[in-house]
Amino acid sequence: MGMRLIARFTARCGRLLLVLAAVAVAAFSLIQASPIDPVDAYLGPQVAQVSPEQRTLIAERWGFDDPAAVQFVKWARNLANGELGWSHVYNAPVSDIIASRFRASLSLLAIAWLGSTLLGFALGVIAGSHEGSLADRLIRLYSYTLASTPIFWLAIAVLLLFSVGLGWTPVCCASPPGMLRADVDWLTRLHHLLLPALTLSLLGVAQIALHTRARMLELMRSDIALYALAQGATRRDIAWRHGARHACLPALTLALASLGELFGGSILVEQVFAYPGLGQATVEAGLRSDIPLLLAIALFTTLFVSLGNAFADLLYRWVDPRLREEVRP
Amino acid sequence: MPRRFVFWPASVAICLSFTFPLPVLAKDELVLAIGGEPDQGYDPLLGWGQYGHPLFQSTLLVRRADLSSKPDLATAWSLSDDRLTWTLELRDDVRFSDGSPLTATDVAFTFNQAAKAGGRADLSVLQHARALDDRHVRLTLKEPRITFVESFYTLGIVPAAGRDNGYHDSYGRQPLGSGPYQLVEWQEGEQLIVERNPYFHGPTPAFERLVFLFTGEDTTLAAANAGRLDVAAVPPALAGQPPTGMYPLEMETVDNRGILFPMHPDDGERRGTGAPIGNDVTADPAIRHAINLALDREMLVEVALHGHGRPAYGPADGLPWSNPEDQIEDANPEAAIALLEDADWRLGDNGLRHKNGQTARFRLTYPASDSTRQMLAEVVAAMLTPLGIEAQPTGRHWDEIEREALHRDAILFGWGSHSPQEIYYLYHSQHAGQAFYNAGDYANATVDDYLDAAQQAASFEDSLSLWQKAQWDGETGYGMRGDAAWAWLVNLEHVYYVDECLDLGELPIAPHGHGWPLTASLLDWQWECD
Repeated sequence: MGMRLIARFTARCGRLLLVLAAVAVAAFSLIQASPIDPVDAYLGPQVAQVSPEQRTLIAERWGFDDPAAVQFVKWARNLANGELGWSHVYNAPVSDIIASRFRASLSLLAIAWLGSTLLGFALGVIAGSHEGSLADRLIRLYSYTLASTPIFWLAIAVLLLFSVGLGWTPVCCASPPGMLRADVDWLTRLHHLLLPALTLSLLGVAQIALHTRARMLELMRSDIALYALAQGATRRDIAWRHGARHACLPALTLALASLGELFGGSILVEQVFAYPGLGQATVEAGLRSDIPLLLAIALFTTLFVSLGNAFADLLYRWVDPRLREEVRP
Repeated sequence: MPRRFVFWPASVAICLSFTFPLPVLAKDELVLAIGGEPDQGYDPLLGWGQYGHPLFQSTLLVRRADLSSKPDLATAWSLSDDRLTWTLELRDDVRFSDGSPLTATDVAFTFNQAAKAGGRADLSVLQHARALDDRHVRLTLKEPRITFVESFYTLGIVPAAGRDNGYHDSYGRQPLGSGPYQLVEWQEGEQLIVERNPYFHGPTPAFERLVFLFTGEDTTLAAANAGRLDVAAVPPALAGQPPTGMYPLEMETVDNRGILFPMHPDDGERRGTGAPIGNDVTADPAIRHAINLALDREMLVEVALHGHGRPAYGPADGLPWSNPEDQIEDANPEAAIALLEDADWRLGDNGLRHKNGQTARFRLTYPASDSTRQMLAEVVAAMLTPLGIEAQPTGRHWDEIEREALHRDAILFGWGSHSPQEIYYLYHSQHAGQAFYNAGDYANATVDDYLDAAQQAASFEDSLSLWQKAQWDGETGYGMRGDAAWAWLVNLEHVYYVDECLDLGELPIAPHGHGWPLTASLLDWQWECD
């Protein structure tokens, strides 16, 4: 048993390493194929205000003039030594940037993820167990509307409503204007996190709710449900006693597989709310050809999503006893 | 249920408003959202301070609103007869914000280091800088270049690396300088908080504390409408609808837009980058003059900029090195048609003019992401149709422009700088065909001579008339009356919402780049209410 676990673990790690390598190569090739001239991007509007000599100097200083293969090998060698490289956009070590930005993003992602999973699941169970009822129709309407709403639009809409119109939430940032980081307590932080996290969690709700509902419907139409009904159980009893455990498998899969999507959504939400997370850094790195930073973010996200999926596999075994048994030939 | 739904967030909001009163907008503190966050930090050696006020550092000289010079760190400055050596005398009472004195060593270090740094501050012409004693510094150039003075206004002085508190790798995040403000906290991607530097050598700024929010356009607007801001940079289209308590400030600029013409006929040649060169239609001066004559620039401002701008006739309208005599009566299609007829461009059956089998047709390329330029291109094309000239508005990505269009199409560019060095790059034949500098391969020996003479002038003031002559000397020049190498169209206006109590003093004509340049007059800002 122990041997088998270790073997499984090693295989998983090996696969993860392969995925990471493939992502690194793919991301790097995409950057190379991108039409951005790093020197022009570095200079921005000052593109014609520095001399040709200065352009050469800029390319030398930040390593823009090395051939692509050399850049990649240099980067890979640094990585092997545990260094992620130097970001020219922020003029700082990549590891520092990722650490500080991810700390800001983490609470946002965590709240949004928990929110969307729990809310989506609850809505799905309610809708699925009362097929055709008013609640079901409302939840479906809500889910379809939400599923077809672009997240940035939603973000701007809630910003206008809650921050500008009603004035309940702050318009931007992770802390109030003029307040030092050290003076910001957790309640203020939460207050600033509320709207972005809410918007982001709405992103995942629709999918999870609809899938949970479908699984729930299946169950409610099954013999098990019929038998329980015949014994005098209410629909709610059946839903929560028997259905929830069944229905949470697709919800779990979706919730953990959608971590990548959540991360993508956070990029847009962070832009709208001027929330300084990893999303903003990704946009900058991409638009300005910051190779070490962009590769590091790509790898980091891959790791994040892979771990999410691995975690989902573990949870399956815990939730569903059928998966715990060893498959025998 | 509905009642509970309303009650919950409302009660939270009420609690929060008790626990965390929003910062009172007293006259001690200003909250600004004018962009300008330097991702690399507040490091002058990498280009911080190229626009607007560097806040943390001070510069050798500062500009008045009319762009004339005023001493700051330097009290006296002179250029040697061979135009290669600047000698500057410094004030002796200047201190960094930690109280340590600023000496010539720091100035020399700043210049030497900036020349090597490979950032946005261009000091490539500097040979070396040397401190003669504590108060005198000598800067030696590789060749005469009067526009080097730009660095006197923009390069903030940092403490030499040899000192205890000296320049180091992460200086950009812990800037130490002798400017009016010192860094309190920079929350990256979010906001910058600064407070007065107690050791500042100049007049004490009116505001103890400044908060700069680095929000995007939408968020800035939302914050302004929620009454959280004292100054906000907003798109020109919104100038008419300021929130209560704020007024729209329209700042004149040389943030210009104009059409670059390829000057050579198409001989099938290509650049090293593979980009084709030349355009048979725009190579004809009659076409370029006719376009300059026919365009109704007032109308362009009305239509494409919603009235928020002014007509542009040159690359630096209103700046001292621009020639006011290079003026024509534009919006005159009749004169343009007469000119085309004289040059043998005959109207054909298809409504277009022809000459020697060549149709008066060219692509007018603009970066596809820029809606203002797209609008300008469309309106220009419509204005040229009655002449029998077909300009085909074509949106492309910058990369495609560089590969395909840069030296072959007429291109809608935008420039605008506080240094005439830009004129040199745009029109000197030395930079002909070099990427974005003089992309149309413009070359005129007389203009070259004026531009070189300007660079070798004895002082910046002396160079002004030479820059002007390069534009138009009565016979030739790069301007509309001369070679008409460009058709300049409009200068944008930068719009800000400003609190009604805030007086921003006299504002200079702003360069390219909406936002931070507003801070140029920072030290003159005053609060007018109690």
